[in-house]
Amino acid sequence: MSSNQFVRHTDNDQSGLPAGRASARPAPGRADVVPDSPTTREAEGLQHKRRNRRRGRGEIVLFAGPALVVYLLFVMVPVGLAGYYGFFKWNGIGPLTDFVGLDNYVRALSDPVFIGAIGHNFFFVIASLLVQGPIAIGIALLLNRPMRGRSFFRVLVFVPYVLSEVIAGVAWLLLLQPNGPFDALLTSLGLGDAVQLWLGDPTIVLWTMLAVISWKYIGFAIILFLAGLQGVPEELAEAAQIDGASWWQIQRHITIPLLGPTIRIWAFLSIIGSLQLFDLVWIMTGGGPANATSTMATYMINFGFTRSQYGYGSAVAVILFIISFAIAIVYQRFVLRRDTEGALTRRVG
Amino acid sequence: MATITLPSGPAPQRVPAGRRFDWGQPFVYLVALICIGITVVPIAYVILGGFRTTGQLAARPNGLPDPWVLDNYAAVLSSPSFWTQVGNSTIAALVTTIGVVLLGVMAAFVIARYEFRGRGTIYTLFTAGLLFPLSVAILPLYLLLQNLGLLGSIIGVIIPQIAFALPTTIVILVPFLRAIPEELEDAASIDGSSRVGFFWRILLPLSSPGLVTVGVLAFVGSWNGYLLPLLVLNDPAAYTLPLGVQAFSTQYSQNTALVLAFTSLAMLPALIFFTLAERRIVGGLSGAVKG
Amino acid sequence: MNRRSTRLVALATAAGLAVAALSGCSTGGTNAAAGDDVTLTWWHNGTGEPLNGFWQDVATEFEEAHPNVTIEVTAVQNEELKTKVAVALQSNNPPDLFQQWGGGQMNDQVAAGKLLDVSDDVAEELEAIGGSAAGWQVDGKTYGLPFSMGISGFWYNKALFEQAGITEAPSTVDELNDAVDKLKTAGITPIVVGAKDKWPAAHYWYWLALRSCGQDVLQDAGKDLVFDDECFTEAGEELQSFIDTEPFQEGFLGTSAQQGATSSAGLLANGNAAMELMGHWQPGVMGGLTEDGKGLGDDLGWFPFPAIAGADGAADAMLGGGDGYSCSASAPPECVELLKYISSVDVQTRFAETGAGLPVTAGSESGVTDPNMVALLEARNDASYVQLWLDIAYGNNVGGALNDAVANMFAGQGTAEDIVTAMNDAAAQQ
Repeated sequence: MSSNQFVRHTDNDQSGLPAGRASARPAPGRADVVPDSPTTREAEGLQHKRRNRRRGRGEIVLFAGPALVVYLLFVMVPVGLAGYYGFFKWNGIGPLTDFVGLDNYVRALSDPVFIGAIGHNFFFVIASLLVQGPIAIGIALLLNRPMRGRSFFRVLVFVPYVLSEVIAGVAWLLLLQPNGPFDALLTSLGLGDAVQLWLGDPTIVLWTMLAVISWKYIGFAIILFLAGLQGVPEELAEAAQIDGASWWQIQRHITIPLLGPTIRIWAFLSIIGSLQLFDLVWIMTGGGPANATSTMATYMINFGFTRSQYGYGSAVAVILFIISFAIAIVYQRFVLRRDTEGALTRRVG
Repeated sequence: MATITLPSGPAPQRVPAGRRFDWGQPFVYLVALICIGITVVPIAYVILGGFRTTGQLAARPNGLPDPWVLDNYAAVLSSPSFWTQVGNSTIAALVTTIGVVLLGVMAAFVIARYEFRGRGTIYTLFTAGLLFPLSVAILPLYLLLQNLGLLGSIIGVIIPQIAFALPTTIVILVPFLRAIPEELEDAASIDGSSRVGFFWRILLPLSSPGLVTVGVLAFVGSWNGYLLPLLVLNDPAAYTLPLGVQAFSTQYSQNTALVLAFTSLAMLPALIFFTLAERRIVGGLSGAVKG
Repeated sequence: MNRRSTRLVALATAAGLAVAALSGCSTGGTNAAAGDDVTLTWWHNGTGEPLNGFWQDVATEFEEAHPNVTIEVTAVQNEELKTKVAVALQSNNPPDLFQQWGGGQMNDQVAAGKLLDVSDDVAEELEAIGGSAAGWQVDGKTYGLPFSMGISGFWYNKALFEQAGITEAPSTVDELNDAVDKLKTAGITPIVVGAKDKWPAAHYWYWLALRSCGQDVLQDAGKDLVFDDECFTEAGEELQSFIDTEPFQEGFLGTSAQQGATSSAGLLANGNAAMELMGHWQPGVMGGLTEDGKGLGDDLGWFPFPAIAGADGAADAMLGGGDGYSCSASAPPECVELLKYISSVDVQTRFAETGAGLPVTAGSESGVTDPNMVALLEARNDASYVQLWLDIAYGNNVGGALNDAVANMFAGQGTAEDIVTAMNDAAAQQ
């Protein structure tokens, strides 16, 4: 799960939005089962509810307990411990004795390699938005039109997103090897001069990774946009069409604006995903050559595990978290506000 | 999907629509084909490459199989380690899915339908988990698993996967469960059903679309998981498929065709699973993003 | 904050207790006097055959020769074993005999008082093993013995050398530079390096440091983790000027060491380049990377890393790595006897015959037949000392920083001083 941050965050968005909306919508099947509710029955029901509330404590513990225990022990405790370890110089074995305060944080933020890694993360954040967004909207609009074989096309477009990062990474490593299939394809198209050391040239490799990442994750954007398009009422487009609007005018002035909330959510998920980028980079380049593709996460794993600097690695993890968190909050506040009204922090009831 | 089911004007109106958009139709297919080419060709290369020999691959890197060779796929399918990894991945994914759905729906039930002090806190706690990717907690988690003696064991992969999938699951399920009308519960209780009985007999069946969505996400997430198995599992006998793909591609690196065959077969289960569930997922997501 | 951190401390303590409890479950570990019944626990990484069966045989033989001794042998996968040993040594019930890779990790164990000093008991064995034992010694004291030790050097294609008109294997860096020039003139890629994996590039620096620094400088640096001696900077400067001659294949930064025909080993194996600096495992790797499974066959040659004229380091020092065993501090004397038995000519010869490694005890070479391996063994046995791979000798932390810094130099980003700074910085963080 973890490794596939995009999947996690997919849901993330659902967290917010649907929470608000779904509750307002009738549940599936509701229409069939809603009983006529005579007033007497309602009153009886209320009584029952009050009784239930009183004897509910045991049930609450029974039902919520297991999830809470697993969640606290394996998510909250490690996250808390990361914050704690970050204040120590520690090799992971032996007692935690060497308290260094904020030294690990100072060191990370003054390490040009780490600053470079943050820079690469932000490169991926911005470039992913600029590359994937427009293309995905275009494809989604096209695939939303009635056409033969549409569902077949849809499945195929999603394929890269479903593949595990390892499989995608191994496949692209083979395709992009020097004198490999991709180079051969370019040469046979008469573009032999365009052949590069795709993964070996520090000045090229970041763009290569951007292409592979876009390939891998654009399907997710398309899924979301298609899902969003289902919520755009066709009547509007049809009315505009009767008024003589062209297909493009309809998309430009009606569909895309209505898709706004979906686009903003996708952008949020894409940003968080880019900040936490790990698997594909680790498999394809390990962050190299010469740190040209390092990300915060590869930097952290490199120090935490490869070099056994658990305290320092934890501090890096905390920085990664703080950056993600800050961006999430700012984005929630200023961009998503009108869509969700703070769903992330909203409480039930 | 929904476009078809939505009652959107009389049918005949669509025919003129088609007439007006006629010029665009070839263009749409062209663009669709290009997109699909870009997304699918690399995957097709992997699958077709498995039907070639390494010699063929070296001689003509981007040719078609000539002749078609079945040896690579046969070799992978008859290798015990491949099936061991399929088994491990299946166990991990199934147990994770069952665990996530069960724990998640139980907790979501309480959050959605009980009133008690601390309910909001618990919900917020789970929601906050959406911002903790596994990578942030992986170092301490690793040490924790080491101390619990779970390193090297598939359980050490499953339990954290469940834990990290819970926020998503609960956040999706709570609205589902809340949307089920109170009257149903009251009716059930008048019919002598306990709250727990109501949960099992009425709530679970009614929320099955939500359960399927979170289940599929948990399954695919576990099936594709890399970082956690990478750090937790050391013994090749316990490897899951992603680790197997990486190990195999290193071990048999001289035999590219065999690696391609292994990779193809490893991607197959997730592809099939997703293809079957695709409608459900897009349907579930459309509920999520409807504007 | 305060309350929270106390709770976290409590948690950490609880976790620590869990470790103790868990390791308490492991069996063995006795302090009984010699002659009484003794159980030895023995952890090794030979999970596969032939090693698993081989070590079991050795244990059985030892039990037969010492009726009072029972040996419990456990084979654990390599990476897991490292963690397991580290945790067990923290507990009060460590294994008696366990796999020891030497270097930085062993230094930590020695510093923590976890290892038995066997110096006085194994004098004879040390003599028979010679320079290979250096990796298992700290401050002149011996804390373990190797049972297998390989070294690195240049693997080369004899046919391509001939084609370029090179008649003799280079023995100095100047001759190596000449050879590179001749190969280039003949249109042959002189040297391949898998710089993507970092360590193959870093091996150049290791070797140049070995040639630039004296043994005591290298070993003191390993103990104190201070790299202030000028020779470390010299090694980087030598490396820079070697890189400047552009001896490597195109795109070496993105080349992996062992994966596929386009890896460095694959390029050498398929006759696309003339040389590669690599460890003793190279022929096996190359064989796997050619379609006929044979690699270069008889065309493959080996020569040790050349000398640098006028440098401080020994020209006959070798760089390598291997496997050994240590006894834990609480182990009974029988553990040392077992260690000595493993190092005996008989066991070592049979070990060589399994083909699982290169034996270290003089007199056991008869198990090795391949001419390149014989040459490599000779060079190793004649070495004034065998330095462990520096990334192992200096530990994960400094070693990792070193490998990264050298890889950067290969990428044209970083000077000789940067490498030394990176090592010192990493050491300061330990």
